[in-house]
Amino acid sequence: MSDSESDANYFKEVVAEIEAEAQRRSSSGEYPRALLRSLDEEFRRWIPDASLENGVEDTIRSIEAAAYVDPAVPISSRSSLGRCVKWIVRRLTYFYHRHVTQQITALGIHVTRPLRLLDANLKSVNRRLAALEDRLDVDATARSELLVGLAISSSFHEFVESLGQHFGQVSGRVLVGDLANVELVRGLRSAGVDAYGVASGSAPAQDAVDVRHEHLFDHLGDLENESLDGFILCGIPDYGSVNEQLRALRLLLLRSKPGAAVAVIVLHPETLAKRLSPVATDLLHGRPLHPETWDYLLAREGASNISVVESSESSHYLITANFL
Amino acid sequence: MPTISPRDAVGNHTLALREVIRELGFESEIFSMFRHPDLMSDTHYVDRLPRDADVVIYQFSIGSPVAERWAQHPAIKIMNYHNITPISLVGKWDGLLAAEVQLGRDQMARYAKHCRHAICDSDFNKSELDELGYTSTETIPVMFDVTNATPDSSVLAKLERKRRGTQVLFVGRVAPNKAHHDLVAAVRTLRELHDDEAHLHFVGTDGPPGYRKVVETIVTHAGMRDHVTFHGSVSQEELVAHYLSADVFCCLSDHEGFCVPVIEAMHHGLPVVAFDCTAVGETVGDGGLLLKDKNPLIVASALHRVGSDSRLAQRLRVAGRHRADSFERSITRNRFSQYFSTLVGSL
Repeated sequence: MSDSESDANYFKEVVAEIEAEAQRRSSSGEYPRALLRSLDEEFRRWIPDASLENGVEDTIRSIEAAAYVDPAVPISSRSSLGRCVKWIVRRLTYFYHRHVTQQITALGIHVTRPLRLLDANLKSVNRRLAALEDRLDVDATARSELLVGLAISSSFHEFVESLGQHFGQVSGRVLVGDLANVELVRGLRSAGVDAYGVASGSAPAQDAVDVRHEHLFDHLGDLENESLDGFILCGIPDYGSVNEQLRALRLLLLRSKPGAAVAVIVLHPETLAKRLSPVATDLLHGRPLHPETWDYLLAREGASNISVVESSESSHYLITANFL
Repeated sequence: MPTISPRDAVGNHTLALREVIRELGFESEIFSMFRHPDLMSDTHYVDRLPRDADVVIYQFSIGSPVAERWAQHPAIKIMNYHNITPISLVGKWDGLLAAEVQLGRDQMARYAKHCRHAICDSDFNKSELDELGYTSTETIPVMFDVTNATPDSSVLAKLERKRRGTQVLFVGRVAPNKAHHDLVAAVRTLRELHDDEAHLHFVGTDGPPGYRKVVETIVTHAGMRDHVTFHGSVSQEELVAHYLSADVFCCLSDHEGFCVPVIEAMHHGLPVVAFDCTAVGETVGDGGLLLKDKNPLIVASALHRVGSDSRLAQRLRVAGRHRADSFERSITRNRFSQYFSTLVGSL
């Protein structure tokens, strides 16, 4: 075995020992796990987005740096005669070069001024966007993780009869979303309501029930105004932030025809609090609104015949209304 | 080539390559768009590239309009590929560089059909071109002179005076692909578990805007402000002083097309610990400890082992010197000479 092979084998053995030692320390928790994680998080926090932060500014700087054109042509040469000739030519043509370069420099400056303005506007938009993001729900991922497995639609079947009566006179399409329970749509369709569901969760077998698997907001974004004859808002009022709940209501009203029948199924806030772990209680800033709040919101939008029905276990409320 | 500078690895390699070709009895000139003032009289502006040239070699390390001139030239085209940092590693840090890198990657893919032969610094670089369908590729390392300058005595004395625990050194531009932040985490772990006087030295110029600042933030967050030193760009004499003073050279780069500082460290007898990725593994070869994982716990254990096991450190020094010798300029120069002799013979 050559020295090189012997060294290579020895170094491999050492690396294996090092890895084993690291594994042992890792298993026994003998290392600053929290600190290392915080360093990693700190690094990720500060990774910039060059396209937003300095991309435009750097580009403008480089244009500005190149905008000044030097009229003094280089005269370096391999021979002293060549250098002398170049110097004479430069002296003789300097007036011409200076005239041309001054115009090019002026053009460069005129190009960078509007770019500076554009850059300032972009930065202003970015600042406003960042402020807006802070105000909105930026922890949607954490919230959705906490909501996995949270059964919040078990009492829907109790409302099928009431809903059938409320939507019985509606002839057109009734949207049910954000749907967590297909039985609700099936029950309504059995009652003669032309209902269809929108579900953003995973797609279970739907047995020919009309359910669209997309996010409610995406679906509403694609719909024409005044295309619905009614809607049932459920799911989102149970876990969405106030902002999301109000946005959903606003969009649904916009997509509904005058005279539409509406309903909101909402979990009782106290029921949700009982079902959540302390972590979820702290981190979920979305809360179901009280039925009184829905009453107020619907009345504010001009709804009439607002009524509230409570489920048998007092876990859910059904609020129904009609618009003129 | 797009830019030539005398203090740049690709620039020095290109100047050396011109000499190799001239020694073979051919005329050879360098054409570039941006030329360092010291090289103005020794090189030519790119639009002077003669149409009747027989062979045009392009030094490819970034996207540039100069590459289009090369691709459209009627001569036999050879590419000398030095690798392009992936956009995923620079995109968020430097918008302009990201645009050049993206252009470079696009050009690299398009030129497979234009390029007759390609010379690559490493097998890693070669594999990238092979995947893109380049038909004739060969690996010949870049030509460079390992600095043998006399160490700066004042810097050496200063480093020795401040010396306490394990002295960890990394040399390279402060850029995200070099992963300085990972080194900070590793040395922080080293201090926590094994050696509370360990110190990390960074030598190299600042790269993309903002990265240095972020690394400094990490250093502060880790409580390492007194235990990490950024030395910036240093002279050759100062660099040798750093190589001689440190206990271990550690490279945790996420992307390297070759990595000259690793060879320099090995040449100066500094044990090398490196994360085995891209071309780093083949550059280190059997001359250092190659880690498959750069988890701070593993790196810290490796640094401690090298710093505390004198037998291992000695074997690494010897193996490293032996490895560095294989990249000696005379050897790579001969390989280029043979390559071009064969190439010309085949034309």
